[in-house]
Amino acid sequence: MSEPIIEVKNAKKIYKMGKERIRAVDGVSFTVDKGEFCCLLGTSGSGKSTLLNLMAGIEKLTSGQILIKGESIGGMSENKLSKFRQENLGFVFQSYNLIGSMTALENVELPLVFKRVRGGKRKKMARRILKQVGLGGRMRHKPKEMSGGQQQRVGIARAFVSKPDIVFADEPTGNLDSHTTIEVMELIKSMAEKNNQTIVMVTHDRKLSEYADKIIHILDGKIESVEIVDHTGAGNASPPEEKSPLEVQSDDLSTAVEQTPQDNTEESKGIEESTEVREEETHETN
Amino acid sequence: MRIFDLIRMGLRNLTRRKARTLLTVIGVIIGTVSIVVMISVGIGMNESFEASVMENGSMTIINVSSENWEENEDGQWTSTTQKLDGEALEKIRAIEHVKGVTPIINNWSMGLFSGKYQGWGNFMIMDMDCYEDFGYPALEDGTYPNKETSKDTVYFGAQAQQNEFYYWDGRRSKTKTIDFDRDKVEIKFQEYQINPRKKEYTIKLKNIGKIAQSPSGYSEADWSIFMDIDMYKEHYTKYANTLKIDDRKKALASLEKYERIMINVDNMNYVSDVQDEIEKMGYKSTSDMQYIEPMKETAEMLELVLGAIGAVAMLVSAINIANTMIMSIYERTKEIGIMKVLGCKVGDVRKLFLFEAGIIGLIGGIVGIGLSYVASWALNTYGGQIFESLMSGSLGVAEGSQFSVIPFWLPFFAAFFGMSVGVLSGFFPALRATKISAIEAMKSE
Ligand SMILES: Nc1ncnc2c1ncn2[C@@H]1O[C@H](COP(=O)(O)OP(=O)(O)O)[C@@H](O)[C@H]1O
Ligand SMILES: [Mg+2]
Repeated sequence: MSEPIIEVKNAKKIYKMGKERIRAVDGVSFTVDKGEFCCLLGTSGSGKSTLLNLMAGIEKLTSGQILIKGESIGGMSENKLSKFRQENLGFVFQSYNLIGSMTALENVELPLVFKRVRGGKRKKMARRILKQVGLGGRMRHKPKEMSGGQQQRVGIARAFVSKPDIVFADEPTGNLDSHTTIEVMELIKSMAEKNNQTIVMVTHDRKLSEYADKIIHILDGKIESVEIVDHTGAGNASPPEEKSPLEVQSDDLSTAVEQTPQDNTEESKGIEESTEVREEETHETN
Repeated sequence: MRIFDLIRMGLRNLTRRKARTLLTVIGVIIGTVSIVVMISVGIGMNESFEASVMENGSMTIINVSSENWEENEDGQWTSTTQKLDGEALEKIRAIEHVKGVTPIINNWSMGLFSGKYQGWGNFMIMDMDCYEDFGYPALEDGTYPNKETSKDTVYFGAQAQQNEFYYWDGRRSKTKTIDFDRDKVEIKFQEYQINPRKKEYTIKLKNIGKIAQSPSGYSEADWSIFMDIDMYKEHYTKYANTLKIDDRKKALASLEKYERIMINVDNMNYVSDVQDEIEKMGYKSTSDMQYIEPMKETAEMLELVLGAIGAVAMLVSAINIANTMIMSIYERTKEIGIMKVLGCKVGDVRKLFLFEAGIIGLIGGIVGIGLSYVASWALNTYGGQIFESLMSGSLGVAEGSQFSVIPFWLPFFAAFFGMSVGVLSGFFPALRATKISAIEAMKSE
């Protein structure tokens, strides 16, 4: 059906701590298709963040290969990588990582500044996307003057402003309460769907993985299982699809594919509610 | 990043920590003022020297005179004489670094005649081959006289050409200025009584050379009439032969004695060495250099002290800039990590930090120049007493000269220098910033 945009082939990351070797990512292979919402799910310390950072080129691979849009991310020079990030990648962080001295608008402009987009055009793009995330009235505010949820919406606006093909998100709702979590997840999903963008998200929360099309279960640096979620059945879980040969490459992949969760209907209800809340807040800010 | 965005971001980072930036800039200002004032005083001193040189003649000239006046402890002036002859001349000529040497005879008893009119001149009788060496002005046609051209030519200085000739007709005196192109001019020696048995000896001048005016217009050359010593000797011997026997002996003997020997040294720095050599031969000598020397030494020491202060101040401010940049990098580690992840190139990170450091240097440099002008003015207005006390015992400072002179290139140099110091001291911190790993940076708070 659709072509893979990310290919992870036997990726390994080993940290050396003195004599000890920590196999944070230990021979992982999978693919992510264009437009797919992929979730890396696992307990704390299982190596999800490390894997995400490898995919984004923030960390260097110990061995293996990661291809994004057919290009090996590990083999790129620093300059090439910067350019590649400017053009193809967006990031959402758990702790927002906004620049404290800059206003919301300036923070959102930042990726465009690095991309050498001219001031006028840049401002227009940043304003439009800030309105989309419901912060039309907060553009001149500094991060300190905003709530966690608002800050993360600035973070999302920043990740999406240059319309990257792929957005990486590491526990984007990790610092938010459950209510705001739903808003933010909805926002990410709707933004990505609009432009058929690919999302790779890390979470330890089983419930949040329900937003994904594909869930990759990580345990001790290895893929435990890959789960394909079918959203077509109205609220009903569908049987998992067969794995592609590439996905089975992981040597340790012996575990059976997990069942889709039963509480799918409940989750959808939650999403609807959150959409309403978001609209309310938009009113508030305007 | 676009250069405009880079500048904006850099300026914003500097204004974020106003007090720190200001203090760092003040450091650069102090360094710049020290260096600029140091250079300007150095230049001011040099210009005073040059002014002294212009007033006192060339700095490379040494005079050995047959008569020397000296002040003793009681404040009385007494003179001593020394014999200057051909032997002395040759010994001096052999000294290393002596470029030109000439005997000088100033014969005050030579009269100039043009018809009935009579005039006087200050005759400089010298070896005309050395004429150019001693810095005398060129002829009006731009050439210099030498021994060959001086066989039968006498050269008149610019003022000497204007000298008036007098004629006493018994009742009143008449004056006239000689036109050297038309009027005939003769020279007569009037040292001894005319021998009535011989015809009076006269030199009928066939050729007269005109010397251009010297830059000051009133130097020795302007008042003098130059004659080659060989031409002089030839005519003087003939003159002596017309004299009575006693006078003839005296006159011929006087030909072997010089009034003065003038020496030109090939380099200002060897003047005192050559003087030492002459001293060893048993002759007293004088030069303008020997008066200037102590003043020059004081000035050089002052320059050195100021230079050291300037260099130390600049070094401290460079360290200060580096420190500020390192602090700033610590503070902004996380920010740098975020920027990198968002696609900022390493080169842009480096440029940003270099720009910030450079701007500190540039602003410090520019303000420093402004203050240097103030300092320079204050020095020129109120510095007189200080300098005079420093220069006591020497020639002092030439009239109207300035202690501190800022030439037009110095502000540009200082601004560029300030910026370079900034960029250089920002270089290692900037390199450090580029090495920050994005992942580590983002973990830090
Ligand atoms: N820079 C590092 N140096 C050493 N060990 C690290 C480093 N980063 C992560 N690890 C280790 O790698 C493992 C995976 O970490 P991480 O990917 O952050 O897990 P997760 O995001 O799933 O919680 C952990 O055991 C962690 O201690
Ligand atoms: Mg993590």
